[in-house]
Amino acid sequence: MRIQFTLNGRPTTVDAPADIPLLHLLRDYLELTGTKCGCEIGECGACSVLLDGEVVNSCLVPAPQVEGRDVVTIEGIRGPDGGPSDLQEAFIEAGAVQCGFCTPGMILAATALLAKHPQPSRPQIIEALSGNLCRCTGYQQIVDAIELTVRRRAGKEVQA
Amino acid sequence: MSTQHYEFVRARTCAEALALLNEAGRVSRPLAGGTDLMVQRHKGQVVWERLVDVSQIPELRVIREEGDAIIIGAGVTHSEAAQHPLIRQHLPALAEACHSVGSPQIRNRGTIGGNVANAAACADTLPALICLGATARFITPAGEQELPVGRLVTGVNRTALPAGALIRDFRIPKPPAGARQAFIKIGRRQAQSISRLSLAALGRLDAAGKVAEVRLTPGACTSRTQRFDQAEAILLGQAPSEELVRQAGQAAAAQMVAIAGRRWSTAYKEPALAAIVERALRRIFDLPGEK
Repeated sequence: MRIQFTLNGRPTTVDAPADIPLLHLLRDYLELTGTKCGCEIGECGACSVLLDGEVVNSCLVPAPQVEGRDVVTIEGIRGPDGGPSDLQEAFIEAGAVQCGFCTPGMILAATALLAKHPQPSRPQIIEALSGNLCRCTGYQQIVDAIELTVRRRAGKEVQA
Repeated sequence: MSTQHYEFVRARTCAEALALLNEAGRVSRPLAGGTDLMVQRHKGQVVWERLVDVSQIPELRVIREEGDAIIIGAGVTHSEAAQHPLIRQHLPALAEACHSVGSPQIRNRGTIGGNVANAAACADTLPALICLGATARFITPAGEQELPVGRLVTGVNRTALPAGALIRDFRIPKPPAGARQAFIKIGRRQAQSISRLSLAALGRLDAAGKVAEVRLTPGACTSRTQRFDQAEAILLGQAPSEELVRQAGQAAAAQMVAIAGRRWSTAYKEPALAAIVERALRRIFDLPGEK
């Protein structure tokens, strides 16, 4: 069936089976492989994307349900100059990327958090990431990277 | 994993959804957040030939006051319910239950109607809805019907919902003035956990400081989620005390065993249920020892 939606800011039309999840639509029909395929049952968060600004597991969203809606994947996250966003820079600096498999999902969960709560507490950050598993267990650095971004956006710390 | 194919159609109104769900020659299922159906699909357990998307029907998305009750559309997500001022003010046990579901990703998609219709043993909203006296209102080809949630859900993954019916909303009476609520959940970790045991509770004292009303609804505990009237009876008409809440906890554990029998998890669940009943009652009746 034909599915029309906004993907990373661009109107997109794709022809795909009606019975696949958004995750497979993105990876197999649109060749956007930044969204990772992990557990496929909504437990690991590796496939997280933004749907109308809310973080969701793309493995649990039936693809046709995005008709007419707004989807942002990791490929749609970038800074004003087209390079990495400030959050992505902070992940690199804080050592928050180890094997990297959870990173796209972490970036999207954190992006959704900061859009709603620009000054989250550490417990709020931890809760916002509770649907994203990092099997390298590098959670401290990931939370540190988000805190660093918060401080920088508040003008309390300049970028190195 | 699944090789079973199915169709997809979006319904714009309740009437359209009902017609699609009851169209002859096709097995259709209503689809809201997909958090249960897509897991079934992944496990190769597709038992439908068509999904009818009801997530964009405005009637299913309402949260509003109606006289002395709060109306919550079946398509309201756990995130929306947990954050809504009307629910936080009047139904904090339900707000807490919704907030305890899964992860942000799951709460942003999963709906209260889906949680009830799927009727998992560990469904977090069930004890809260039953404790708060929620009535499910559903549409069927034979017209509108309603049932208390405690009677709609008849067992694990079993409901009395007629074939082709669609839950439209839940009507929840506002608890009386002075009533306090609690929701407690025990899982293996704080987030993303399946309830091992939960409890929704409500209590109110009269002018003399005696228990005028109390409702205790454990979740993930008996196959049909229900109020534990024996534990409630111990409290009614009494002034809350250390001894009284301890007895109520013991009575709740005894009632669980009487209903569900002894199984592998009972050795854990007996003291755990007694403890969360005590904890909830301490919180509601302002007894010391509960932060």
